[in-house]
Amino acid sequence: MNTINQYYAGLDMGSVSIKAVIISNQKITGWALIPSGGNYKTAATTVMTQALAAAKIRREDLCGIGVTGLGAQSTPFDARPMSDISCQARGCHVFFPSARTLIDIGGQFTKTAKITDKGKIADFLMSEKCATGSGRFLQVISRILQVPIEEIGELSLTSQHPIKFSTNCAVFAESETISRIAEGAKPADILAGVHKAMASKVNMLLKRIKLAPDVVLTGGGGEDAGLAKAIGQIIGHPILVPPNPRLTAAFGAACLTMETTSG
Amino acid sequence: MPFAGIDIGSTMTKVVITDEHENILASHIGPTGAEHRHLALRVMEDTIRHAELSFDALDFIVATGYGRINVPFSDKQITEITCHARGIRSLFPTARTIIDIGGQDSKGIKLDSQGKVADFVMNDKCAAGTGRFLEVIADTLGIDLEKMGEISLAAKGFVQISNMCTVFAEHEVTSRLAEGADVAQIAAGLHQAIAERVVNMTRRLGIEKDIVVTGGGAKNPGLIKAIEFQAGFAVLIPPEPFITGALGAALAGKDLFMRGIKPELPRKKEDVRFFS
Repeated sequence: MNTINQYYAGLDMGSVSIKAVIISNQKITGWALIPSGGNYKTAATTVMTQALAAAKIRREDLCGIGVTGLGAQSTPFDARPMSDISCQARGCHVFFPSARTLIDIGGQFTKTAKITDKGKIADFLMSEKCATGSGRFLQVISRILQVPIEEIGELSLTSQHPIKFSTNCAVFAESETISRIAEGAKPADILAGVHKAMASKVNMLLKRIKLAPDVVLTGGGGEDAGLAKAIGQIIGHPILVPPNPRLTAAFGAACLTMETTSG
Repeated sequence: MPFAGIDIGSTMTKVVITDEHENILASHIGPTGAEHRHLALRVMEDTIRHAELSFDALDFIVATGYGRINVPFSDKQITEITCHARGIRSLFPTARTIIDIGGQDSKGIKLDSQGKVADFVMNDKCAAGTGRFLEVIADTLGIDLEKMGEISLAAKGFVQISNMCTVFAEHEVTSRLAEGADVAQIAAGLHQAIAERVVNMTRRLGIEKDIVVTGGGAKNPGLIKAIEFQAGFAVLIPPEPFITGALGAALAGKDLFMRGIKPELPRKKEDVRFFS
């Protein structure tokens, strides 16, 4: 097998951020992540240039590019858009061959999938109608609490008495949060309450697809240890998180491209 | 014989005083604060003063709405569904369907031929289809909530809002604005989105004429137009759509009193505060 220095790129054009990953032999050799902003094409070109630079290779060294994500249709590259959940599943399978359930919590959507022992999708369910199960809920609450989104997970873990929200609606929870702050509730307890509310929403999807261990959490939600803990508690299984969980789909896109190209 | 009803809603507290012939003697509306009990007493006292009555002259006081347990001086608490129906029965005896759009929830109520509650549906779990949805989006559009109805009536056609969730719809509206869409058409699209949601919810009960729209939503002519479009019927609007629950509460008290049920006097008028 001559796979030495065969490079592939995966690009994930999400609603909040665009990620590019360069792989060689299923190993990440370079990556970059930038906000999606208003122009997907420009952002895609920029992030790819950064990832190539990180991998210390040139565009011409790539044997193929795979593109996925909400904005995949706006790709500036000559690449066929791929289903993001297939890419997620592929990426998860490489990190955790034992993974049978996938939870992807992104900026706008939450997706759950059952995956086979080969890393293929067996079943799939998505929540796109309500912000409560998605990263948007966390953005809303982190803005009110004035806690940076990267810090909410750690802070939530310190909570002793998570508050119980009387609502599962992100809009009503926003005003409830303001009232609770006025009553003197601790930000950690509010965040832990938000994580519980989100976890129960995710659990509703997981029940419908009938989850099986091992369970993997990807997307921006995977960066949030408080959320991972809350989901783990409600489903009664440990949650596995890949390194850099926001890159899993881009990584999977690169892997799938490698497999189809090298056939 | 005067009877009072007090309706503590999520945003407004309403009081109505009627006589035994179901005439409204006085009504008053104040904002609901965090300190319900404090406020309930104040709005009640204001209304009593307007009616030129005294507290003890009231033959029966009924409290309703989500804050009804916080009214120490009430003689009875009755759910807002029952009170709404009772108020509407007095105003529109022919009404068979009520659509109530409040600040934080929306309800559909089916009435039988006697004007009694036959069935109801309610959404208080999600901001979509409630006044809160409009409040949030009016802010995004940079227009007054009160003017949103008028503004939308000027639109020819509407911009379709595909997201039900308020958070996502807010994002969608921002994108439409960035694309240069007309504010009036966006407002019209938002009214259609709410109307579709509440009409579909009410349809589960079977919509029968006459339809009455109540709550703050009834004050919005753009929303009324959208509800009529979605339901395929013209709707009736009470002269004071905010106070039908409080009116019904007063009348439910009258009904009890006429059946010989008397309040326990003196009433507890303590002015309890939640936070000292």
